[in-house]
Amino acid sequence: MIDYLHIKDIHKDFSGLQVLTGVDFKVIEKEHHAVIGPNGAGKTTLFNIISGKFKASSGAIMFKGQDLSGKPPHTLNRYGLSRSFQITNVFNELSVFENILTGVRSRYGLRYNFFKRPDHNLSIIEKTKAIIKEIGLEDVSDLPASSLSYGQQRALEIGITLSTEPELILLDEPTAGMTREETGQAINLIDRVTANRTLIIIEHDMDVVFSLADTISVLHYGKILASGAPEEIRNDQRVKDAYLGEG
Amino acid sequence: MKQKNNSYIGIIVLFLLGALMPFILKRYHLNMLTEIIIFALYAVSYNLLLGYAGLLSFGHAMFFGLGAFVAAVAITHIQGLTLLSAVIISFATTVIAGFLIGSLLLRHKGSYFALLTLAFNALFYAVATKWHSVTGGDDGLSISRPELNLGFTSLSVSSVSSFYYLILVVVGATILFCWYFTHTAMGKTVLLMRENEERMKFLGYNTNISRLILFTFTGALAGLAGAFYTLHFQFVSISAISIDMTTAVLLMVFIGGTGTFWGPILGAFVYIVFQNYLSNITDRWPLFMGIIFVFMVLYVPGGLSHTIMTIRQWFSGRKDNHGDGPIKVEETSS
Repeated sequence: MIDYLHIKDIHKDFSGLQVLTGVDFKVIEKEHHAVIGPNGAGKTTLFNIISGKFKASSGAIMFKGQDLSGKPPHTLNRYGLSRSFQITNVFNELSVFENILTGVRSRYGLRYNFFKRPDHNLSIIEKTKAIIKEIGLEDVSDLPASSLSYGQQRALEIGITLSTEPELILLDEPTAGMTREETGQAINLIDRVTANRTLIIIEHDMDVVFSLADTISVLHYGKILASGAPEEIRNDQRVKDAYLGEG
Repeated sequence: MKQKNNSYIGIIVLFLLGALMPFILKRYHLNMLTEIIIFALYAVSYNLLLGYAGLLSFGHAMFFGLGAFVAAVAITHIQGLTLLSAVIISFATTVIAGFLIGSLLLRHKGSYFALLTLAFNALFYAVATKWHSVTGGDDGLSISRPELNLGFTSLSVSSVSSFYYLILVVVGATILFCWYFTHTAMGKTVLLMRENEERMKFLGYNTNISRLILFTFTGALAGLAGAFYTLHFQFVSISAISIDMTTAVLLMVFIGGTGTFWGPILGAFVYIVFQNYLSNITDRWPLFMGIIFVFMVLYVPGGLSHTIMTIRQWFSGRKDNHGDGPIKVEETSS
């Protein structure tokens, strides 16, 4: 059987600095997979490689039997991958509606058309509204992204990630910088929108990890230290020593 | 919806006013208005590049000049070439040139891109100067305006007013399409790439291809303006492909402002009118244009359109805060 996603022996060095030294793990379809690890373990680098921002020095990313390594982000997006960013990366001057519309029209192939107006396409408008409703931003739909609260901007970040209707979602620390209350809402939101989709999430907050993930992989000094169900990871002695520490 | 209807009414009124001009204006001024419309297209094409896509090019004149020269050379060498065919040949040549040059340039960004466009423009200028047998070198090329063949009938466009009508309809419609373009998928894509190129990539947009398409498109529009420039003056000289012609479009766009679609049209109007009156008064008119440019950049960086918008906001007493990008594309005029 072909693996859904196999991150295969990924190495990455930045001019001599070895950040990833053979990362290898598998993700099952519809699974919610968390990648945890201390600061500097290489989590974001790994994400950047999976999503096409960086090229791996060696290794492969096998997605449903195809090697996606080295492909540019826009190609990966069309394979059904979509990622969010740790530092909010939205179109600040645009309304929430236009932010989401940009992804939706890309999904429906309205990217470079010289004649068609995306705001005249009813089905695209409907899809856009549905996503805005899903992330709970209907009330601020016409406001520019820059005027939203931090929590709302994070929701928009997730909304944009969803807007191309991906089957594999990569979320990079979606709750970074949030208050307890906001984090709780974010967990609910992520849980709701990623149902029936495959999710890989990088997270520092263990509450978030243990409430969202089915499988956890621990990244430590550029390698996967352990991979398994949350309970196994919680009780794994190596993980405790390396990362969870006193917890 | 109201806004949209207002735009359409505005466009129709402008075209109707334009159609009345030959009855109102004297020959001299009608000629000037024809020139303004041609340069408005040139300025609008440059603004799509600079204002919308955020690409600073110092080589837009290479396309304008190429379009101008190809039209002149084609009319000189091909017997019985109709006006429309000459324009199409010009347009097609600039599309090819834009695509080839664009593919070489667009991996570079910011100042490297700007300097490379300058270098290419210098190359085109050198070729135009030295290739005397084709371009006429320093002497330029004189042509006589061909007839407009509409298939069923041929129209002479040798008179000032008939050529003016041709320009009003054809160039006016092209400018109108440019305005529409800013609302289309591609127009929005280009604008958003300037806002956040990285995110666009992660949303499935090939930003390199988008930039190449836009560069080719704006180059072809400039080439079209160039072809009509040749047809208007019935003469083309190397000044059409020189750096001065790039400076001219920069000036028009800066005077009008990059913040709106119609700013550069206003800029072209002001530029051509000033140039005509100043050159009547003094031979040193470029000096005064230069002073105006410095003044605009220092004190009115948003251009005239920005000033007009600010004044309008004072009067309407409300602050427009609809997020439609830094370019308020809803504000329009042909």
